[in-house]
Amino acid sequence: MKISIGCDHIVTDIKNHIVKYLEDKGHEVIDNGTYDNVRTHYPIYGKKTAKKVVNKEADLGIVICGTGVGITTSANKIKGIRAALVRDVSTAKYAKEELNANVIGIGGRITGIGLMEEIIDTFISTKYKETEENKELIKSIDDMIEDGSYVNDEHLFDDLLEKWDKGYYHD
Amino acid sequence: MKVIIGSDTKGFELKAYLVNFLSSEGYKVMDMTPDPNLNFVESARLVSEEVLKEEDNFGIVIDEYGAGSFMVANKIKGVVCAEVSDEHSARMTKEHNNANIISLGSGIVGKTLAKNVVMSFLNNNYSGGRHQIRVDMLNRLA
Repeated sequence: MKISIGCDHIVTDIKNHIVKYLEDKGHEVIDNGTYDNVRTHYPIYGKKTAKKVVNKEADLGIVICGTGVGITTSANKIKGIRAALVRDVSTAKYAKEELNANVIGIGGRITGIGLMEEIIDTFISTKYKETEENKELIKSIDDMIEDGSYVNDEHLFDDLLEKWDKGYYHD
Repeated sequence: MKVIIGSDTKGFELKAYLVNFLSSEGYKVMDMTPDPNLNFVESARLVSEEVLKEEDNFGIVIDEYGAGSFMVANKIKGVVCAEVSDEHSARMTKEHNNANIISLGSGIVGKTLAKNVVMSFLNNNYSGGRHQIRVDMLNRLA
């Protein structure tokens, strides 16, 4: 399977571990970064990872940040993405089986490596079981964003990053 | 500050428990789903729309796994919804993501954990600063 993966600078080592884990199992992995521990911003990587999934360059996406909340939220805000943020295998299975989730999010500082691997294995191997009821729920979710064209805008965050560079955002 | 809460059928019992608990703690609670027959698309939308009416509102959405409500709430511009099943995530998402809604799975968390996760969220504050660029980015998406 083709897997698109992304993370922020807090959990790059964990993402690297998962990339190797997936490749060792024979999956093709598109690593969208970040690639080091230099401070950056999770929505950049959530969007990049999600874009590969909606454009069908990848079958599924995996996103990881500290708690998973920020990067999974950013992926889910892309039209066509149904992202599930999980800390257990049961929710991963349900999200794929019933909601045909196409991105799984995990907190790299919340969930241990063993559980993370089992969540990902389950997410990949579980098949969507279409019913009239869940088909309608999925359509309702997908219809919520009317114009999702911003996914293809490579400059969407440019002005914010410029403000960042100028020191506008400081602690 | 108001706590806006809602659930689908499977989250109804946990919702009732949290409404009771939060009211007894002195919080102003608004139950958006007195009707127990809603699905999570309907319940999460009702809560999200009410939360967005005032900046310091805080929402709780509940269904069996929390995953469906998370997907729905996060499709709405201005919502940052965190699915949480531990106290640390609840605190961190308030401090770093300025989350305004949390999603709980009634089949995943027990009453004690649900209560403590909610309190961890309510008892912490957004840090702002460097985190704000990420929240600005989220709000640009949807």
